[in-house]
Amino acid sequence: MNSSLKIFIGLEIHIHLKTESKMFCPCSAHYGDEPNTNICPICLGYPGTLPLLNERAIEHGYLVARALGCRLSNRISFARKNYFYPDMPKNYQISQHNHPVGIGGTIEVDFNDLGAKRIRIHNVHLEEDAGKMIHANDATLLDYNRAGYPLLEIVTEPDLSRGEEAELFLRDFQRLVRYLKVSDGNMEEGSMKCDANISINLPGRGLGTKVELKNMNSPRFVRLALGYEIERQSKLFNSGGEIVQETRLWNENRDITLPMRRKETPDDYRYFPEPDMPSFVSNAAFLKRIENQLVELPLAKKRRLQSEYDLKVEQAEFIHNDIAMVTLFEDTVKSGASARNVAAWLSSDVRKLLNRDKRTLADTPLNASRFSSLLTLVDQGRISGKIAKNVLKDIFSEDADPESIVEKKGWFQISDPNELGKIVDQVVSQNPDVIEIISGGDSKQKSWLMGEIMRVSNGKAAPELAKKILDERIG
Amino acid sequence: MPPVKQLWFSALNKPHVRDKYVQRVREIDKKIGSFLSFKLEEQDWTALGRKPLGGVPVAVKDNIAVRGRKLTCGSRILENFVAPYTATAIRRLENAGALVVGKTNMDEFGMGSSNEHSALGRTSNPWDLQRVPGGSSGGSAAAVAAGLVPLAVGSDTGGSVRQPANFCGIYGFKPTYGSISRYGLTAYASSLEVIGLFAVDIRLLETAFETMHAEDEFDQSSFSTNISGSEVKKIAMLDIDPGMLETPVAEAYTQAAQILRERGYVVEKVNLVTLKFVIPSYYTIANAEASANLARFDGIRYGSGSGYSQNPINLIKEARSRGFGDEVKLRILLGTYVLRSGFKDQYYIKAQRVRTLIRKELGVLLRNYPLLLMPVFPTQAFLRADSEMDNYKQRLSDIFTCLANLAGLPALSVPIGINRGLPTGVQFVAPAFGEKSLFDIARGFSEVFPVQFPPGALEIERMR
Amino acid sequence: MEQDEWAVTAELAALKLSEGEKKRLVKQAEQMRKLYLSMSSAVVDNLEPTTHASVVKNRVRKDEVKPFKDVDTLLDASNELDDRFFLIPNVL
Ligand SMILES: [Mg+2]
Ligand SMILES: [Zn+2]
Repeated sequence: MNSSLKIFIGLEIHIHLKTESKMFCPCSAHYGDEPNTNICPICLGYPGTLPLLNERAIEHGYLVARALGCRLSNRISFARKNYFYPDMPKNYQISQHNHPVGIGGTIEVDFNDLGAKRIRIHNVHLEEDAGKMIHANDATLLDYNRAGYPLLEIVTEPDLSRGEEAELFLRDFQRLVRYLKVSDGNMEEGSMKCDANISINLPGRGLGTKVELKNMNSPRFVRLALGYEIERQSKLFNSGGEIVQETRLWNENRDITLPMRRKETPDDYRYFPEPDMPSFVSNAAFLKRIENQLVELPLAKKRRLQSEYDLKVEQAEFIHNDIAMVTLFEDTVKSGASARNVAAWLSSDVRKLLNRDKRTLADTPLNASRFSSLLTLVDQGRISGKIAKNVLKDIFSEDADPESIVEKKGWFQISDPNELGKIVDQVVSQNPDVIEIISGGDSKQKSWLMGEIMRVSNGKAAPELAKKILDERIG
Repeated sequence: MPPVKQLWFSALNKPHVRDKYVQRVREIDKKIGSFLSFKLEEQDWTALGRKPLGGVPVAVKDNIAVRGRKLTCGSRILENFVAPYTATAIRRLENAGALVVGKTNMDEFGMGSSNEHSALGRTSNPWDLQRVPGGSSGGSAAAVAAGLVPLAVGSDTGGSVRQPANFCGIYGFKPTYGSISRYGLTAYASSLEVIGLFAVDIRLLETAFETMHAEDEFDQSSFSTNISGSEVKKIAMLDIDPGMLETPVAEAYTQAAQILRERGYVVEKVNLVTLKFVIPSYYTIANAEASANLARFDGIRYGSGSGYSQNPINLIKEARSRGFGDEVKLRILLGTYVLRSGFKDQYYIKAQRVRTLIRKELGVLLRNYPLLLMPVFPTQAFLRADSEMDNYKQRLSDIFTCLANLAGLPALSVPIGINRGLPTGVQFVAPAFGEKSLFDIARGFSEVFPVQFPPGALEIERMR
Repeated sequence: MEQDEWAVTAELAALKLSEGEKKRLVKQAEQMRKLYLSMSSAVVDNLEPTTHASVVKNRVRKDEVKPFKDVDTLLDASNELDDRFFLIPNVL
């Protein structure tokens, strides 16, 4: 790769907005139902039907635009984007053209070793999704359940310059939409999609010939596709070859990009204002509602976790990755637990359990009150750290409170001097030979006796007290 | 309740009259061809008596959805298509007791002024079977004029209610844009069109409009407002180059002004300098919107498909090429053209700016005059396949009607008697929501020129 | 030249025109296009385009699911079905 070349990468990200109903009709926007069950005359483009704008979709759109630092449009309107394709019931897509929800934002992204960078946002706009086409042998099957899902498209300026940056940008953007609760942001499941455009040129010469990349179904594939493309275009560029303006598809089986079949006539979307819906004008009350839904953004959160709670970089990185984790962390700390202790538990034991079960925190029965009572039990010496790990496992598997788990399993430490004294006496009387060795001056054997006490007590003996009693007994 | 309602209710209330009625409609309509389908369904006649439109049979243009009935839009591509839901406007009429008895013929997708562009049948003018009923709601107009129903629903994109009403000698009403829900009206040019009404009686028309006027959750461009009308003293009369109008039309126009003056109104001639831009602006916008609105007809989800094809794009092309007639194809082509990049500014955007200019001029005019008097169409009903009236000439002749559509204003065409064997009439245009003024002025005219029926029309008052 | 532009337009409009249609329609289309050009004399550059017939208040729908009752009639309306899928010839 010629390091003197300048690389321009821009992203077009589509997210499915989390709404109950579709963008322009009251059909369910639920994913994964039987084919063609969530359809109606409106989303099938029946004659005489009209689009009915979903209020929540607009709010979500404004919220993301606001979070990305965009200029919010006072008036938004929709346009028809015309092209024929069987997955699109009206053969036009209702989208936003001249008056999108937001224009011209910037967002700071931390590219780790590569440093933090501000990425400019060109615009944020709402639109509807198309149906799904399934290709069989000599036929195509159409499922219109997805037709009319609310989509938000985010178009960045070409400010990224490496595949790694694009991947990290996307991961940060996923966190952002999850923090805002507007989308699942899951590329593998299709609730988020990303196309990229890339061009290369000599420094100072502006953008080069734009190549569009599609069909990348994870942030990792975006990185790989861009990496491949940078390599391919740089070679072409340096050998004096011509870079063709085209759309290329990422082939995940072969790890290469391939040109998409070209159409006879070039696209001409013939945008014009959607006459069936009036413009939407935002007012102070509406904007206030948006403002109230705004939350601390992922990068700010990560930085604050480090500075305010003195967490290690990796801990902050891990916790901020999942908004549910952040909430659990902060709520548990608020109830009095030590931040570093909470962070340590989360980034080791909790994380291991999540990985083991392939779950996310939100799907587990662990919550702040359970978590903090677990830590309190340890602090108060009522269970040992080792037992605590078992209690955590049981919270996950049994959906119960720590107190009742410990109670049920009889895991409370034995700290009653009488009861513990009996156990110590039992161990002492059963091991006269060991006592003899200790009296002979080999005090190392004492720890073996402690081990026996723990074994006999099923790990429940309060260690300090047991040691004290043992010392008393054997002088 | 309008007396016409009582007349129809008390006749059809009797089962044997209902049978006779159906039989008579079939007989008469064999010649006229106003209906594409006709069926009087069983009703609870006791309940109907109390409703404001109870027992009034209504014909509905076949581009408006009535659940379980065909919705052909006069097109091959929808020849067998059955609507799975009912238009809000029709539901409201039905709730008021009106009976949808049939769906009427029309120019394909509303594109035309003669009904000659229907792919599914021929409709004749009840006054002269050699002549066209006008269009595009020609079937609805003919059904009312022939006495088959006292009330019919149509749609008016550029005059498609007022012009056929004028050709057939009845009232034709285009309400303020948005005052009647478009949900269920197959879209041709969304920003221009409204559901409109035909009637033999102005009070019946008014009752039907009040019934249909409402904000609809299924049409976000609809709204409800107080329908008003200021007291009219001064009326503007569009000054027209006499050469523009056929003699009987010009005579009716002068006569209307004369009657108004006799009744104490001040009638003042006015000019609209933007009039010459009305047709190009209207057709540019209407066709552009049509090109998108008709894109959905591809034979995949519903409607006539094309059988097997190599690939889906060809499948779509085949279905559309077989399913649409010439006029529809032409308008889609024109509409696609004016939106293309490189042409859009020069045609489509320009037309929208011109639309603003026209609205401004009309707005100023209607601040000074609460009503504007205009002709409806330069000619009376013309002959079928009239060489003097080719498609291009017909489009140019929409000049007086499509003005109200560009401005979203209410307008009413009013019959002014029969001249040389054919109906004549004029239209009034009012400011937005000024429907009351239109009905008031028409009531006055009805004293002088009540609706007349051609020989052979169905006379419900004689059925016993 | 004119023919070419109308051919591209027909392609964009997903219309396949027969030779006869081409001749008839292009002639009429050109006639209308010339009529459209008569707007060039209108001085309107300072005017906003009218995009909606009437400017009304905000209209939105609450985000609530109301399933359509008669989904199966929507399936029955199609030309070809495979189980619950609409079926068309292959895209590829
Ligand atoms: Mg998009
Ligand atoms: Zn739907």
